[in-house]
Amino acid sequence: MIAVKLIPHLLSWFGIVLILLRGFPKRRSVVIATSIAGFVIGVVGAFLLLRVLTGSVGFVIITSVLGMCFLFLWGVSVAAIYSRAGRGVTTGWGVRLVSTPLCAGSVTAISGIVAGAVCSCTLPAMDSTLMNLAMLGSISGALAYVLAYAALAVEKRISHSFTVSPSGMISAVVALQLFSSSSIIRLDLFSPLSMKVMKFAHDFVHQFMESMLIPDHVFVWSYLWRYIGLLFGKEIGFWGGMFIWFTPVLLVMCAVQYERLPSVAHIRQGAERRKLLAAAIRQRRLRLVVPFIALLIFTAAAYQSCYPNVEYWDPKPIVVTATSSGEIIIPMKSDIDLEDGKLHKFLFKQGGKEARFFVLLGPAAKLTVDLDACAICKPDGYGQADGTVICYYCKTLIPLETVGKPGGCNPVPITFTEKKDGVHIDALTLINEWTNTVQSTTKGKEGGK
Amino acid sequence: MKRLLRLSGNLLTSRFTSPVVIGFFLLLYIGVAFFTEEALITQMELVRQSAVLVALLSLLPLNIASRIVAEMLRYIERRRLFSGTAADNESELFDETIVLAVSPAITGLQERLDGLGYRTYQTERSLSAWRGVSIFPARVLFLSGVFCLFLGILVSLVTRTSYRGPVIEGVALPTPSGNGGVVEQIRLEKSTGSILSKQLSMEVAPARPGDARVSCGIYPPTRYQGSFVYPRFLGVALLVQFSAPDLQKGFEKHAILNIYPAGKEAAVEIPDSPYRLMISMAESGDGSDPYMTGRMNFTCKLLKGNEMLFAGNVPGGGEFVRDGFRLAFPDFRRMVITDFIRDYGVLFVWSAAILFGASFLFWLPVRLFFPLRQMLFIRHGTDMIRACSRTEGKEKMHGGVFNETLDMFDAGRVERKTNLG
Amino acid sequence: MSDNIIETSGLTRSYGDICALKPLDLHVPEGEWLSVMGHSGSGKSTLMNLVGGLDRPSAGSLRVGGADLLALSEDGLARFRRESVGIIFQQHHMVPYLTAVENVMMAQYFHSVPDEAEARTALERVGLGHRLKNRPGELSGGEQQRVCIARAIINSPKLLLGDEPTGNLDHKSTVMVMELLKELRAEERFTIIMVTHNQEVAAWGDRTIYLDDGVLVREERMSS
Ligand SMILES: Nc1ncnc2c1ncn2[C@@H]1O[C@H](COP(=O)(O)OP(=O)(O)O)[C@@H](O)[C@H]1O
Ligand SMILES: [Mg+2]
Repeated sequence: MIAVKLIPHLLSWFGIVLILLRGFPKRRSVVIATSIAGFVIGVVGAFLLLRVLTGSVGFVIITSVLGMCFLFLWGVSVAAIYSRAGRGVTTGWGVRLVSTPLCAGSVTAISGIVAGAVCSCTLPAMDSTLMNLAMLGSISGALAYVLAYAALAVEKRISHSFTVSPSGMISAVVALQLFSSSSIIRLDLFSPLSMKVMKFAHDFVHQFMESMLIPDHVFVWSYLWRYIGLLFGKEIGFWGGMFIWFTPVLLVMCAVQYERLPSVAHIRQGAERRKLLAAAIRQRRLRLVVPFIALLIFTAAAYQSCYPNVEYWDPKPIVVTATSSGEIIIPMKSDIDLEDGKLHKFLFKQGGKEARFFVLLGPAAKLTVDLDACAICKPDGYGQADGTVICYYCKTLIPLETVGKPGGCNPVPITFTEKKDGVHIDALTLINEWTNTVQSTTKGKEGGK
Repeated sequence: MKRLLRLSGNLLTSRFTSPVVIGFFLLLYIGVAFFTEEALITQMELVRQSAVLVALLSLLPLNIASRIVAEMLRYIERRRLFSGTAADNESELFDETIVLAVSPAITGLQERLDGLGYRTYQTERSLSAWRGVSIFPARVLFLSGVFCLFLGILVSLVTRTSYRGPVIEGVALPTPSGNGGVVEQIRLEKSTGSILSKQLSMEVAPARPGDARVSCGIYPPTRYQGSFVYPRFLGVALLVQFSAPDLQKGFEKHAILNIYPAGKEAAVEIPDSPYRLMISMAESGDGSDPYMTGRMNFTCKLLKGNEMLFAGNVPGGGEFVRDGFRLAFPDFRRMVITDFIRDYGVLFVWSAAILFGASFLFWLPVRLFFPLRQMLFIRHGTDMIRACSRTEGKEKMHGGVFNETLDMFDAGRVERKTNLG
Repeated sequence: MSDNIIETSGLTRSYGDICALKPLDLHVPEGEWLSVMGHSGSGKSTLMNLVGGLDRPSAGSLRVGGADLLALSEDGLARFRRESVGIIFQQHHMVPYLTAVENVMMAQYFHSVPDEAEARTALERVGLGHRLKNRPGELSGGEQQRVCIARAIINSPKLLLGDEPTGNLDHKSTVMVMELLKELRAEERFTIIMVTHNQEVAAWGDRTIYLDDGVLVREERMSS
């Protein structure tokens, strides 16, 4: 089971080593050594991190590191396209830097650590005894060793004309890392990215209209305003996320494709000149292969992130009623056990209005009651998966630790009292909260205000 | 000190400055977004409050301005080279430069280049040939647009002041300074425009003798005493009179109610009592807009605590009496909640938009159909020429012509016209 | 290495029982203009095809420009054809719906990358500067053959092969084409091997060999 889960991660790591070997052709031994060391450090380090730090902190750290790798790729791609587009921009120092052993070593080490850390996240719960650690270290070391030498053997067989530019190498490495991490739902970057983009688009349009003194919806044809309303939907988050996701690798491809051809003006025979140009064009085309593969991997990662291979725990809401004093009482133990750590959904109806909410025992052994809706998205509700709940509308993961705290896409918390016979909730508050929340979010989606 | 000056000079003129600064602000945004939901607003507030960030942001327009100057100088230098009046340090102004040990005397070359669509210009020292139009104007327009954009953002962030007040018929315009003219009339009409569905005009009488009358509309926003007048919501200023059997004093208040469009409710709290009024504008029977026609009826609900006592319709200017309760609206006027915004950055951002548009309109056809291609041959002594070439598009064909021309110099071939056929 | 661009020994090509080329020893020095004469079916085209890398010999050795054609792989042979040989046939073999300059650019394309400016110059050099945009059908036989010459020399081959290039031309056009070839050879210094039935045409060369039934029967050096 574990072995099957590990396969995509190990394959990604194999690919990473392969590409690094090709990217630093003069530093094979450095690449092999640091990548193995980095991988082992990553596996053991992340293992410790996830056990020492409670809750989701460890995952947040690893996700942030992945995010930084992605940002780094952004920087590299912009630099690549900028140095291509600008005349008189010298990147000689950059090229020299890339060919130093220090650069090869650090890039490889970081890639190894990240890959190892991601692998480590799939491991089952184990105690962090010295014994376990030593075993983990040696097993991962052996695996890394075998894979690295396999990559070396494969790399030696690939034709020498297949070169890769530094930016192409980085894009492929980052693509593989993100592909590897996208199969672990708590390390996923794409969904939070779309979420942030959605929020940014929302804020930006508001700010822009306000800054540019653009008339409010009262004065604008409503059909036009509907188009503006599109800027607030999930789609803009998705497409904006796609844009941010794919742009760097596309920029890298453009930078390669529009590389300046060598000057041939010193050659006084047309056929000779053309031969040189044709060779340069061929080289350029071959250098496009790796970024193109990276593009495909990015696509696969985005797909995996949008359609994760996870089953959500999403029970059908149980209809509840209020007592004559306007209280909803849910017993701790009946058909269901409120304190089993699972999401329990309820539906309350009163006078044509209804409210959906859930009760959940958090990891800190504290009960929380929340609306099955958040303050910013359409009320599509939540599902539960492995340490998190997910907002179905924007696909944001909310760690169980933070469920019960207000803000963002967190479920809106409801005040309640915990008594012997169960959880007591004020029916009117519940209905009001639900109505307010749903009204503001659905209106927000349509009216933009 | 000198080094410091040089460093800051480099910082201002380097073409890396702007991307690095923009990248920094992007990173800052990402960092801020990590900690707060309201990232954009927080970041704007951060910049506003930090002198360092303002200085960093102001690097952008400064850097762009210096880029404009630098690129103009390069452009002028290149032009001078082409007219044969400049010195020799041309290599970095071109894509390709090469020195050939050949006799520069070629007859017929000019006609040949003419035949290929190039225009030529010959001095005793040099021959220049070019075709197409330079995209340099588009570049300058673009850079100016970027300059205006960042300057606008900077000015707006640092100096924007905003004041919100209700504009009411018959009352002085509530400008921040407090000396606005009296609003004579507020008119709302249906619009036939393609974007705006309604037309609003607020007629303001002269504040002081000698001033002009002003009519404030929606877009583009009118400026009044240095502020932009930015109408936000419509509503009604209503004189509310209320008395209840258990209240000793009657209640009277000018309420500013944000109740447009018809049906939207606003609350009026009656102080020192459990009563609350929910007021909305009633739909007119004939589908017309009561705000436009001025025939307003108000739907009122009287609440005591959370309990509704009764509801009813009160015509503007009329009253409603029941069970000892009395509700009257002796006076009602149209009202517009308006922001008075003092922000010169807006002007810059608008000009930036215009500049970007103009730049794009110039750039696209030129780049697609007649990009500039130029070459320059300069004589060095009797048996050397220096050849330079540069393109802004269609490199391939031009490269061929350039290389062929060099071949001809090399072979001294042009004057020989193969006289066959 | 010798200065011979072509060296064959025992070069043989047979089609089943038919032996089109009997063992042939031939040496062509660099820069020579060699005329090949013989009756129909005497193996002239067979020889040209072998030397041009269009066909492989049945036996013997064949070196062209220092390269052993028998040892070359298919790819190597294709590269050899692309870069080292230019061929002119009796039929022009041009793409009928492309213009003259585009036909020349086709040859550049198969060699490396097209370059219109260079193709124009090449056509100007063969005196067709005014017919760049005409299709083959709109050109006279002599002009067509000149386009073929431009096409054959565009990739700067070391060896120019002509298989009865003037076979379909009248006297005046033939002289023009020959003049042109002579001029170009003076500039580009390529080697010419030209098959012809015409004694007069053969006389433009430095040396003539006579084939009969696949055997070199006679050799004649022109006095210039
Ligand atoms: N592809 C072939 N298959 C069989 N026989 C061929 C083939 N090509 C040429 N021959 C024969 O080889 C001989 C020489 O032909 P060729 O070289 O074309 O003669 P030439 O060009 O001198 O007229 C002829 O007898 C011809 O029939
Ligand atoms: Mg024949």
